[in-house]
Amino acid sequence: MSHTLLIWLVGGVLLVGAGLATTLVPARRARDRKRQTAWSGARAAIDSAAVSRDAATSPVPAAEQLLARAELIAAARGGAAAARTAERHAQQADRLWRTQR
Amino acid sequence: MADAAVTARRPHRYEALRWALLGIAVVVLVIFLGAQQQHGADVSYGRSPADSATIAKGPAPRAGDPTVPSVDEMTALVADSPVVRLPGSIAHWNEQRVREAAGDHPVRILVAPPWLDEDERRRLREVKNATIVVSGTDVSGGFYRAVPDDVPGWRAHFATADVTGPLVTLIATLREVPVPADHDGLRWREPTGPELTAVTADLRAKGLHAAAGASLTGVPGKAATTAFPDGALYVALPAQPFGEPLPRFGPALTELFPGTPIIVMYGLWIEYHGPATDFAEVAGASFYGQFADRISQYDYSQDQVLSVYLNRVTDIRYSGLFDRPLPYQPVDPLRVALPALPWLFAGCVATFLALSVRSLRRPDGTGIRRGDGAPARLAGLTALAVEMSLLTDARSNPALTRGVVKLQAARAALDEALPEHHVRSLLNEAADELDDSARTVGLAGYRPDFYLQGRLS
Repeated sequence: MSHTLLIWLVGGVLLVGAGLATTLVPARRARDRKRQTAWSGARAAIDSAAVSRDAATSPVPAAEQLLARAELIAAARGGAAAARTAERHAQQADRLWRTQR
Repeated sequence: MADAAVTARRPHRYEALRWALLGIAVVVLVIFLGAQQQHGADVSYGRSPADSATIAKGPAPRAGDPTVPSVDEMTALVADSPVVRLPGSIAHWNEQRVREAAGDHPVRILVAPPWLDEDERRRLREVKNATIVVSGTDVSGGFYRAVPDDVPGWRAHFATADVTGPLVTLIATLREVPVPADHDGLRWREPTGPELTAVTADLRAKGLHAAAGASLTGVPGKAATTAFPDGALYVALPAQPFGEPLPRFGPALTELFPGTPIIVMYGLWIEYHGPATDFAEVAGASFYGQFADRISQYDYSQDQVLSVYLNRVTDIRYSGLFDRPLPYQPVDPLRVALPALPWLFAGCVATFLALSVRSLRRPDGTGIRRGDGAPARLAGLTALAVEMSLLTDARSNPALTRGVVKLQAARAALDEALPEHHVRSLLNEAADELDDSARTVGLAGYRPDFYLQGRLS
């Protein structure tokens, strides 16, 4: 009886473990991918804004400030939400420099 | 094309199999737990279906039963005569053998009717001058009580109310001389033609013959079915008169009904005839050995005694003695499957685990698939940017640079296998910037849409 009891216990634990793994691992993978994607977009926006700043004829303090904030957020390496905030700031700064020209 | 369809459908099939296995595992677990609850430790093999094989305490004496006179009257009667037989008494004995046993020892015997109540028994005990008191067929005297302890003794006792054996034993014990050997005084005779005809007719008609005066009213159904699944014949006769030979129905009926179990009752004595008589000795000896005392003290009917006897026969059959086949018991599928359930469960768990690992290792399908055009578009736009870099001026340069930055980001995203829509949107932004740059320079041929079309054609 003891060996079958062991089967039931170990089997039950394995089932629960497999269920958790198959739920958590893809979720975590998707989260990582989302974060990577968001940071990829944010970096592109920051680089783009930097180009616009270098091309600008006169300084725009508000845009400087926004870009600085975006770079600060990027340096802190947060999650997807932080990346989106940084991207938004960078895009705004980019727009400001472009309209200034 | 066909390959693509197959590879697309297979993951779904594995996924369905995986969930089906989980369901089976859960069902198996539930069945196992349910079986634990139902059966627990209460498991037995070939348990006898007989009712509890004891005789309930007998019926109380009825008002019409014979009673005994007062102690003084009985003492006077015993003083008058060596043997006093009160009205209603049933016990008989072989007077010559008792005389021989007594010899010159003065023996006064008081014979009382059976089934007295407590008060009447107390009065009997108080008759001091009686050496031996026979109450019903219960023989006692002094500190002793004599009971038969073998088959001839029980047979004489229950079939003809013969108490010779106990009397002789008791007198010898009281005289402190060796007890003489037992002597079976019962005689048999062949049944007469008319007797046999009546019994045979009844047995053929309903399987039961209850002679006039027998207290058997019917065969106890359940006990009879479990004791003799193939059926049996029952003959019930009243207690036989003492001194007369008993009709020997058993052998005659066995000849008439070969292979059929036959139960013949003489009073409360039960005889078995028919196939496999070995067990009948064990059944009879164990039954009367256990219950003779009880039966002789109360007024039991043949119905009650037969029912308990049949239960005893069932118990003996189920104990596996005498190689009698056990009655067929249908196989309980749950009992049979129970040992396999843990392994079934383990198999389900293992396969579920394997399929789970497989589903984890499978790519999500959100990455870039080959041949969807993103890398080609990236290459085309990069070539366009390189060509344009020779032609741009201060006004168009920032847009071109931004386009290049976006192209670099798109390339990095492609390398990291980021989602397709993200790569697409980066490429679109890059194309927009290049378009802006081309328009600023005024070269319509370098606008991305036009340029890429030209390269592709």
